[in-house]
Amino acid sequence: MSTADALPARELDVRPMLRAGEEPFQAIMDAVGALSPGQSLRLIAPFRPVPLFSVMANRGYAASDRALGDGGWEVVFSPVATVNDSDGVAIGSSSSAAFWGVPVLELDLCELEPPEPMVRILEALESLQPGDVLFALLAREPVFLFPELAKREHEWAGNFDAAGTTYRLLVRHGGGGAGH
Amino acid sequence: MPTASLSRWTMSYFAAALAFLLAAEALAVAGIGYPAAGLAEPATLVVVHLMAIGWLSLAMAGALLQFVPVLVSRPLAFPALALPALLSLVTGLLLLCGGFAVLAGWINAPLDLLPLAAAGLLVGFALIGLMLGATLFNVRPVTLFSRFILLGLACLAATVLSGAAFAALLAGRGGWLGAVALLPDGLPFHALLGFGGWLGLIAFGVSYKLFVMFMMAPEPPARRVLPVMLLAGLGLALASGGLVAPFAGFEPGTALVVAALGLLVLASGFYGRDMLALYRGRRRKALEINMLGSLPAFAALGLGIVLLPAAVAGGATDGLIAALVFLLALGWLGGLTLAQLVKIVSFMTWLETYAPRLGRGPAPRVGDLVAMPRTGWWFLSYYAGVAGGGAALAAGGATGFRWAMLFCLAGTAGIVAELARVRRLSEIKAADRPVAQERPRMLLARIDQRSPSHVDSRRIASPRA
Repeated sequence: MSTADALPARELDVRPMLRAGEEPFQAIMDAVGALSPGQSLRLIAPFRPVPLFSVMANRGYAASDRALGDGGWEVVFSPVATVNDSDGVAIGSSSSAAFWGVPVLELDLCELEPPEPMVRILEALESLQPGDVLFALLAREPVFLFPELAKREHEWAGNFDAAGTTYRLLVRHGGGGAGH
Repeated sequence: MPTASLSRWTMSYFAAALAFLLAAEALAVAGIGYPAAGLAEPATLVVVHLMAIGWLSLAMAGALLQFVPVLVSRPLAFPALALPALLSLVTGLLLLCGGFAVLAGWINAPLDLLPLAAAGLLVGFALIGLMLGATLFNVRPVTLFSRFILLGLACLAATVLSGAAFAALLAGRGGWLGAVALLPDGLPFHALLGFGGWLGLIAFGVSYKLFVMFMMAPEPPARRVLPVMLLAGLGLALASGGLVAPFAGFEPGTALVVAALGLLVLASGFYGRDMLALYRGRRRKALEINMLGSLPAFAALGLGIVLLPAAVAGGATDGLIAALVFLLALGWLGGLTLAQLVKIVSFMTWLETYAPRLGRGPAPRVGDLVAMPRTGWWFLSYYAGVAGGGAALAAGGATGFRWAMLFCLAGTAGIVAELARVRRLSEIKAADRPVAQERPRMLLARIDQRSPSHVDSRRIASPRA
């Protein structure tokens, strides 16, 4: 784990803003802009801020969310591994991941029992085009998936988030040979 | 790559293990060994070692060869040693039983079978230790889970070495030991290190990891698990001390056995608390057969481990001590292993069969490979036999014990048949099964040798080793 990963997450509770009738989007983007490299953002909202997930994914942050007891949601946006911090990327990860496109598909598979995440990812890849990138969040490192990805000639890059609880995986559809 | 593949020989380990379990149970049903014979008599030693080495150790070794690489995200080191290790262990065990048979007067052969057996077992377990140890040391820093396994392997080494010394003594070739009285004083420590250290401690460590996965439960933090390892490690260190004490001229007494057991009681208490938390905190609400079938095993652990030190300290009868050890060996370790085998075999079979097909056609769920509720009834029979057998031993009822073991045997045979049906995909409609040449083989995992050319497998530090 690099030292940057150990930074405490920045926290932002947008519930008071929303109660006051204000639009929190800019505050969120400001908070994101103020993050140190490798730092995560913990966002507290009165609802599950789904639209924000893809906005943040485009900025290189993976979301992992959980419901708070009172109807609110806590979402942790963690920076996704890129080649810049390849020290922190799992062995076997493709070194070209930093140059892959924006994920066309995002899957949150944290709640699924193994091997269901593997099933979902391989199913999803069958419907993608060569070059497409898929992003998935998992509860554990999908060690049995990797040999299958390799056999189907897909590339991947993945690592755990700073807390070590969510595994972030990017898979790039390799095209050649897949499906046959 | 942090990839894990199927361990090629694990199914063969499981098959051999189950065959030895059936054999041990059949002998018990036939009235061979305790209580018809004394606790330390050769007939009892045959049954005990068929259970401890044949059944529990082979099943444990097979499971570790599959799951240690998965749990540390590293390929197994020296995988080619898996078959020689299995052959060496099986040969060693058969020779050991042969040696005990000579001691019992059943057959006429040189007693040197015993040291020969010890050599076979020593080689086999050393190979297992080498594969697992080298795999675990590939990962830095060494995690708490790895420490559980390494400590268990150290206990295995102590158990096998002390067993080898016993074998030499029994064969009349113990002259090199001088006047050191290893037998019978060392026996309780040999048993403690084998059952409590190699089998028990590793079962503790592995269950933390596997149950988190199987039940989708939050992983307990390392600092919570640490006391389990420290207390058990201390207890097992005392037991090792009991083995080497005679060399230093000390005579280890009952007090040392009780102290070692006492520490294992504390470790089990913390472990039990954590297992309860895993069950309670699980996100997967419906319990599968492997987790349901493990519940009586935990009950057996609780009962057996709490009463055993009290029984030893209080100078209880052989019958009561035998009953409690029986409860721990067949109820806790045996029951837990049988229950988890159902999950492991069905998962490995599923992976072997369906991983190449995922996304390209319908695939069953892992649980669909297991016949339910029939498999559950076999477990009921097995555990009924364990409960009855334990009660019969405590009460000194030899006939009752044989009847109880018949229930264990029937349950085990049923579970073995179910596992074979899982391998044959019998629960999947015939039309939905893959063509015959792509179905799993009974004893040997198909290993796909296709090797990807483009994957960058530079060794980069893993973020969470």
